[in-house]
Amino acid sequence: MPEAKDPRSDLLQGTLDLLILRTLAAAPMHGWGISQRIQQVSDSVLVVNQGSLYPALYRLEEEGWIASEWGASENNRRAKFYRLTRNGERQLEREQENWQRLASAVFRVLETA
Amino acid sequence: MALTTRKLWFRLQSLRSRPRLERELDAELAMHLELETEKNRKAGMSEEEARRAARISLGGVDQTKEQVRDAWGAGALEGLTQDVRYGLRSLRQTPAFTVAVVLTLALGIGANTAIFSVVNGVLLRPLPYGEPERLVVLRQSLAQPATPSIGFSEKELVDYRAASKTLEGLVEYHTMSFTLLGGAEAQRVQTGVVSPDFFDFLGVAPLLGRNFRAEDDLPGADAVLMLSYDYWQRRHGGDPKVVGKVFQMNNRPHTVVGVLPNVPQFPNENDVYMPSSACPFRSSQRTRENRAGRMLSVYGRLRPGTTLAQARSDLAAVSSGLAADHADFYPRGSGFTASATSLGDELTLRARPTLLVLLGAVGCVLLIACANVANLMLSRMLRRSRELAMRAALGAGRGRLVRQLLTESTLLALIGGVIGLALAAAGLDLLVAFTARFTTRASEVGIDGPVLAFTLAVSVLTGMLFGALPALTARPELAEVMKEESTRAGGGSHKRRARSLLVVSQVAFSFMLLIAAGLMLRSFWKLQQVDPGFRTDNVLTAGVALNWSKYDTDEKVRAFGDELVRKVEADPEVSSAALSFGVPLGQSNAFNRRFQIEGRPVEQSARPTLDYKVVSPRYFETIGQRLVRGRAFEPKDEHGGAPVAVVNESLARHYWGNQDPIGQRVSFGDEEEPWVTIVGVVGDVRYYGLDREPGQELYRPFAQQPGWGAVLVRTRVESSRVVALLRRAVREIDPEQPVDRIRPLSEVRSESVARPRVTAILLGVFALVALVITAAGIGGVLALSVSQRTVEIGVRMAMGAERSSVLRMILEQGLGLVIGGLALGLVGAVALSRLIERLLFGVPGTDPLTYLAVALLLLGVAAIACLLPARRAASVDPLVALRHA
Repeated sequence: MPEAKDPRSDLLQGTLDLLILRTLAAAPMHGWGISQRIQQVSDSVLVVNQGSLYPALYRLEEEGWIASEWGASENNRRAKFYRLTRNGERQLEREQENWQRLASAVFRVLETA
Repeated sequence: MALTTRKLWFRLQSLRSRPRLERELDAELAMHLELETEKNRKAGMSEEEARRAARISLGGVDQTKEQVRDAWGAGALEGLTQDVRYGLRSLRQTPAFTVAVVLTLALGIGANTAIFSVVNGVLLRPLPYGEPERLVVLRQSLAQPATPSIGFSEKELVDYRAASKTLEGLVEYHTMSFTLLGGAEAQRVQTGVVSPDFFDFLGVAPLLGRNFRAEDDLPGADAVLMLSYDYWQRRHGGDPKVVGKVFQMNNRPHTVVGVLPNVPQFPNENDVYMPSSACPFRSSQRTRENRAGRMLSVYGRLRPGTTLAQARSDLAAVSSGLAADHADFYPRGSGFTASATSLGDELTLRARPTLLVLLGAVGCVLLIACANVANLMLSRMLRRSRELAMRAALGAGRGRLVRQLLTESTLLALIGGVIGLALAAAGLDLLVAFTARFTTRASEVGIDGPVLAFTLAVSVLTGMLFGALPALTARPELAEVMKEESTRAGGGSHKRRARSLLVVSQVAFSFMLLIAAGLMLRSFWKLQQVDPGFRTDNVLTAGVALNWSKYDTDEKVRAFGDELVRKVEADPEVSSAALSFGVPLGQSNAFNRRFQIEGRPVEQSARPTLDYKVVSPRYFETIGQRLVRGRAFEPKDEHGGAPVAVVNESLARHYWGNQDPIGQRVSFGDEEEPWVTIVGVVGDVRYYGLDREPGQELYRPFAQQPGWGAVLVRTRVESSRVVALLRRAVREIDPEQPVDRIRPLSEVRSESVARPRVTAILLGVFALVALVITAAGIGGVLALSVSQRTVEIGVRMAMGAERSSVLRMILEQGLGLVIGGLALGLVGAVALSRLIERLLFGVPGTDPLTYLAVALLLLGVAAIACLLPARRAASVDPLVALRHA
């Protein structure tokens, strides 16, 4: 069901995807772990709410960039762990390049204009 | 490509294992909540506090689930039930809106269902006969316009049977009226006289007993009857033991051998059927040997693999062969030929144009209703824009919102459809009676599978149609809505344009529909204005068909007639009584006879024809037919006296021009009365229909040419008061003689225009509904616009605008739309005018007077609809308006 996408949410969504992929590149993690990790690393600047996180995880899995399996959590409970796939690694590289190009472009504009 | 396939697989997997996915999602989110709580606890919160903080930080669990399900995508079905539940709730919250919409739609869908059920039963469904597509009607015709179709004689039928290469199983049919004895009272029964294989030919199996067989038709065979289903039900209460019963008819015993099933009869509805040998007239030596005694209709079946076009050229070839072999009977230059039409077309010929126009009309009504509902939806959207924007802000995708709106509109349409179906079912009896005036297929009209499917399809389409527009203009932008909230306006310019467009198209369709109705009414009015050439007030008519076999000599027929007139005229309430073949406008057929004028010899086969009528002396006086010159019949024009005739003006003008025809003599090749003298000229009458030009008629006195089937009585009192008198008079002369079709002549006349009248009424009702809906639409849109522009109007008035100029401004806005719609509707109406022209009498499809009158009517109604909101605008208090701004 293709839905018209708002350009703003596209940007946000793309960014969230990038952050998730990058976080999982370090180690397989469950959903809560991913959100905590992003919050920690960004010094609480980026807060991922579960309303965006879980749909994003499903989408990434559908794209084949991450895979999931059930395992034991820190407190020894069953939890769903996500890991990066080979496709996901390539996607991460592409998105990182895109992001850096964009960031440096924005940076240049801010410096000179 | 590979990726796409994999994605599809993934989706299918998630669709299949939906419950598992749900369980996993639950577990995953519960886990998430627990970990968050634990983190809070570690941060030093109490257990209670930690749990609450976790829930708050995560937002609603259900909402998250919803969003994940959206991402699953495969949740279409689940989304639907949710949309329906949500839609029903929101419709319940606005009952006035819901009721208005549902009723409007019920009217529109109901009208469409009703008309479609007729179209389906009459035009679409295959004939309930065996292999109906192969059945054809044969026709012999002459080039003379007066005789478009001439029937077949037995000799001709035999020739076509032998010579046709494309048709098989030719069967004959004609209908007679006989007297049937053996029940409680003597009855006149309409009798179909047919070939013994007629029903086998149609593929109709008897409900009871058997069909006719070849041996029933042999000379000297016992007379047999089959009963029509309707007659069997009506007269014999559906008695299963009716087969084997014996009735007296034409002085012979007739045995019932079968009952027909309930299928439409063709080409007329009859009470009973008999094989051709049982009809005394048809089986007489004289009829059988007369090649020109054409009284039969003939039907055939296309041989396998042949087309109608092949059959036509085959018949044309056979007929020219006949003309060559029997030159005496088929005069050169008469344009004699034969052709065929498919039985299905023949059966529905008269109904088709009317039904198509009606179908178009109800389609228009539904479109207009749709436009109104779309407008109501748009206004409702304005009120809901906040809610929609909120939902959008909370994460509902645009597609999801559109789906929600479409679900609501479809729900409304379906509810409307159900009520509409009930309305259609309630009105169906009336429609069947209406259709029966056009075709015997009316009995097949009903609400069945195809009709239900049609209603469902129309409902869903309607819902999509009026839901799509508001949904497409729905752009829930939170910021915009919040901003607009302060001005209480709402609805960007695109919505205003959409609403205007809806009103313009509504007006256009209403205009077209009103024009159609106006043309029909005007045509009907013209028909009513036609002077038929006789007076219909205070005349009672009745059919008295004498039993052929009992009254088998001229003397007996004459004696009965004279006695009846004498008895009826003896009553002081009766001013005169007369006998004739038939009743004017009473659906009788012309009796065309060849003739020649003394002193202008013409060879037999090239002689012209006239319409030959027989009347008793006071006939012209009784119906009020004008005597132009000479005299009417008098008692001295008796049997054995000098043969005389009266002609009508058309005949006199055609053959004698400005000369006086009185004293001229004509001949019909009759040996007893070689020359008949014209003694009078009477005015023209419209005998066969108010819309048919008078023909060339010649009248003979009853005394010299006994034969009659109708009695007409002019009364000094209201004509219905002599009904009993008439019945008693007939019974006194012959208790076994039935009288039927007792009706005032005025009723005969109004019955003769029943078809255009009912069509005009139906169209008028549809047009009125459309007008009301449209007026409501214009008023509603304008009222909304006024309420949106309250502030602007307030500012204008604060700046010094007069109330009258505000009133004018709003009126101009409304009427501008109406005029736009009129212009569009005019184009449509002119383009479609040829369609309706076939139904009109004396009015062109582009009659300027009708167009102008209808435009003024529509403009007037629209002005009234605009006035209410305009006056509200003019009464805006600038202070109040500005304070609210």
